[in-house]
Amino acid sequence: MATIDITNLRKEFGDGNERIVAVEDFDLTIQDGEFLVFVGPSGCGKTTTLRCIAGLEDVTEGTIEFDGEDVTDRRARDRDVAMVFQNYALYPHMTVRKNIGFPLRLSTKKSTDEIDDEVEAIASMLGIETLLDQKPRELSGGQQQRVALGRAIIRDPQLFLMDEPLSNLDAKLRSTMRTELQELQTELGVTTAYVTHDQTEAMAMGDRIAVMNDGELQQVGTASEVYRAPENEFVAGFIGSPSINLLTADVDGATLRGPGGFAYEMEDPSLVEGHDRIRVGVRPEDLELDPDGGMPSEVTVVEEMGNENFLYAVMGDIDITARIESVIHPEAGKTVTFGFDEEDLYLFDAETTEAVKTKTGETDVDYDQYVQPSH
Amino acid sequence: MVLAAIQSRIRSSAAYKQVSDGVRYTRQDVSRIVPEIPGLPYAYISPFFILFGVFLLFPTAYTLYLSFFDYVGVSNEVLLTVTMGPMEVSLPRIANLEFVGLSHYERLIFRDSLFHRSLLNTTFIFVVQVPLMVILGLATALVLDAKFIRAKGLFRTLIALPVATGLVAYSTIFLLLFNGEVGLINYVLESVGLTAIPWLGDGFWARITLVIAVTWRWLGYNMIILLAGLQTVPQQLYEAAEIDGASRWEKFRFVTLPQIRPVLLFVVVSSTIGTFQIFAEPYVITGGGPSNATITVVQYIYNQAFLQLNLGYASAVSVLLVVIVSIMSIIQIQYGGGDS
Repeated sequence: MATIDITNLRKEFGDGNERIVAVEDFDLTIQDGEFLVFVGPSGCGKTTTLRCIAGLEDVTEGTIEFDGEDVTDRRARDRDVAMVFQNYALYPHMTVRKNIGFPLRLSTKKSTDEIDDEVEAIASMLGIETLLDQKPRELSGGQQQRVALGRAIIRDPQLFLMDEPLSNLDAKLRSTMRTELQELQTELGVTTAYVTHDQTEAMAMGDRIAVMNDGELQQVGTASEVYRAPENEFVAGFIGSPSINLLTADVDGATLRGPGGFAYEMEDPSLVEGHDRIRVGVRPEDLELDPDGGMPSEVTVVEEMGNENFLYAVMGDIDITARIESVIHPEAGKTVTFGFDEEDLYLFDAETTEAVKTKTGETDVDYDQYVQPSH
Repeated sequence: MVLAAIQSRIRSSAAYKQVSDGVRYTRQDVSRIVPEIPGLPYAYISPFFILFGVFLLFPTAYTLYLSFFDYVGVSNEVLLTVTMGPMEVSLPRIANLEFVGLSHYERLIFRDSLFHRSLLNTTFIFVVQVPLMVILGLATALVLDAKFIRAKGLFRTLIALPVATGLVAYSTIFLLLFNGEVGLINYVLESVGLTAIPWLGDGFWARITLVIAVTWRWLGYNMIILLAGLQTVPQQLYEAAEIDGASRWEKFRFVTLPQIRPVLLFVVVSSTIGTFQIFAEPYVITGGGPSNATITVVQYIYNQAFLQLNLGYASAVSVLLVVIVSIMSIIQIQYGGGDS
């Protein structure tokens, strides 16, 4: 178990003139026992950051500390970390038993029998005790995943690193494994850094989420924080599914005017004071059909999800997505009008993309009334 | 997606139907006109079998056949005469043969001390040569696969280059280099204060000279194959092993070796076969000497067959060599093949 401090991390690839900066100005502390998820689009530097923490990449600048101890120049094998790779990286020539026991065989002086006992304990915890004498190629993706987990767990490391471990699984298995991973992490209490490009996975799993883009850390926070209070337009756009609707509006006193007849009267005009133009964001789940709303939009497609409908529309040259009740089926080509509450409105500076206003609604509803009285 | 949509649109178009129907009908027309020749497909694949039969199957079978006979010169009997106007071509029987049963083998195994000598020499070269070439080949491949080495392409080419040189040409150069009186090697040894070595004059050193020559010539071949094997090992396995706490040696022992095992086995078996077939080097560099200290089995076969014209006896040696090499290879494959 360890607290991980990353200070001013910078990682460049290549040499001479063709240097590519993969990660820069990266500062982050992962708390002891925390499940932290790195999320961002492809090539944003999340995997590189993870590999720097693992010791598989040399860092160009900056320091990495485990519990206050500088490990920046320490080799991966001396860092006491365990890693689960995207395609598992199981040793193909070893049986499951040997794969799981391999780290112990290398790093401890335990006898073969002792190692075997531990392997069996972990295998039964992961439900793969019947597969111990098979080779990885005989296993399904989900089973290989468990073996890789077993190999990581058996070391009882200071830190778990997971590089998109669920991305090779089918959707159903992925959500099962997601829950299992979380339960496992809670049970073991080991500090975990987890990389994914899937924001749903990040939101569901992480104690905190570190959103990255272009090699830079954009924001670190809980799922609710990055969703409700994104620090910039990138985070607002990346977190949430379907994505937030964004448009540029001209500020005319208290009125925002945008493409396709968008108009909105600010209840609190002080928020937009000093801005000529501003980026406006409203999440699909906050849009509602409202004849008096300021967003006239022409319906293009309605996707029925069963419990709700996704409504795709255009307003001027802007695509709009809205989540509406499943009983409303507007026809394509019809023009409908959306409205929203000001507490759900996001505003971003048009130049810097920094957040000006984020969600302000109530976040902590008292749930005592729903709790069953205990006997 | 888009491509598939375009394809399906083309397929459903009227023009496509017309063209494809046209093609189908033309093909049907053609097969109606051309009579069906039974076994035609076999005629198409026959060139391989003909060449295989003439150049491989027949010589092999004939060698086995010859090993039970004594060859008594070219026959006078005419097997076939073809008259073409003024020209007449006649084909003689290949040889006059005298059946001797297994007596060649009996002599080979129990009485022929020169054959035993040649087998011993070849075994010496095999015992020194194969481990040396495999280990050296693997070491070179590992070094040239390492990240920190620069100009890898240059080194790889340089080490692999000897494979492309002619056997006799390079053997001749080694003959000159290792010459006791005027050779460059002894000149260098003496000029740094060491004593000259009787490279070709002493039986032991003559064998060492052959080992050095063969190593120079074939190292690159093993290196290239092993390098190719090394490059197929997924990098992620090394990373996983590093994370699991493996040292450099442990990574080599638990990841590299098991992963390149099939390639390594191939190199060992092919080196073994190559070593037992060694001929050009002793023929050119040592001439089998001094006093038969370096005569190899194939050289002995050559001497028997083409210098003394004992074709039957030479065939028996060849057959025995095949048996020995096959047994060695089977043992190696059994021992080294693992479960894959």
